[in-house]
Amino acid sequence: MNQNKLIILLVFFTTMSRAQGPPITTQTPVMLGLEGNGIRTVGKFISKEKATVYVQPIGIPYNITSKFQIGGIFPYKVVNPKNGGAVSGFADLTIFAKYQLYKKDGKAKTFRILANVKQTFPTGKTATMPAIGSGLSQTYVGFILGKISSKAGFYSDFGYTLTNKGATDSFSYNFSVGIPLLEQKYPQKQLNTFLEFNGNYLFDPNTHTVFLSPGLQWIPGRRFLLETSFQIPIVQENIAVNKTNYMVLIGTRFLMN
Amino acid sequence: MNKLAAQSKMAGIVLFMMLFLSFSTEIKAQNSDKEQQEQVYVKAEIKGMACPYCAFGMEKKLKEISGVSNVTIELKEGLAYISTLKKQKPSKENIQNIILNAGFTPGKIMYSDTPFVKKEVKKD
Repeated sequence: MNQNKLIILLVFFTTMSRAQGPPITTQTPVMLGLEGNGIRTVGKFISKEKATVYVQPIGIPYNITSKFQIGGIFPYKVVNPKNGGAVSGFADLTIFAKYQLYKKDGKAKTFRILANVKQTFPTGKTATMPAIGSGLSQTYVGFILGKISSKAGFYSDFGYTLTNKGATDSFSYNFSVGIPLLEQKYPQKQLNTFLEFNGNYLFDPNTHTVFLSPGLQWIPGRRFLLETSFQIPIVQENIAVNKTNYMVLIGTRFLMN
Repeated sequence: MNKLAAQSKMAGIVLFMMLFLSFSTEIKAQNSDKEQQEQVYVKAEIKGMACPYCAFGMEKKLKEISGVSNVTIELKEGLAYISTLKKQKPSKENIQNIILNAGFTPGKIMYSDTPFVKKEVKKD
């Protein structure tokens, strides 16, 4: 089966979808339950032409109110070049804030828009070869949208990243649709599949990447979920060297209180 | 003679046990009726509760209401059911504020002296 047929098949299934859990590689505008005061970690294995990279970030959100969330992301990174020794350490620290701008609720459905601000600090070491940190401060300003009902759920987030030291700015965008494989009930045992698109555009030089990310999520109870996603590059424009072959994500979210 | 006395004694014990069980079941039933009479049942419409993983926050907040021991969520209907003692009956404003603080939009709040009939029978 070629890639286009796979995409058509996945889109067909998503049109038959009902509601679902939180998306895997796209953000959700619902800051409740596992997306509220839960800890999230997603191990990401990246296979590139000239190296393999493993990133293990831990994300800790905290709800100030039901409309306002703050948090931090602490990534640990291992870079293993094919022609050299592995380098590892804590990478750049990110803090974030999300604020609900709009909410329209109905019976078993909701539409929400959040503003999302992130600040990344150059805390990762750059003296090593290859570097673990970017050495750059990055400020992200964006939005998160989601329309969730008992019949379908669609998510999107997009935003602009300003970078210092004359490095290129970027625009990133993500879309997600989820499919529940089990009947929607509460308390839940859910098995969900996701089809997600993850895009990133760098302005100088102009490079554009888009990944198609089918994923699977298992929610055995109220406080815990397991998820995995396989990210396939479908666009890698103007990237001459060290293209990405694929990415694999395996993660969990755990509600603390 | 001794055998007859032992049989009579045994019959007496069995009769006593039967009477005791019968009375205790009756008392239990009366207590259950009394408890039910002292309970107030609340049905709350909760708008925006579209996903099971976010209903957990709502359930937690409803359990924080004084006297509430059980909460049932009907996700597809957007409903929550709680019961509490009549003397601890929560006001509509109290329930509405709890729903708002949990991140949802409150709809109708209904009270009843008898349990509501639920479409989804999924109890915590």
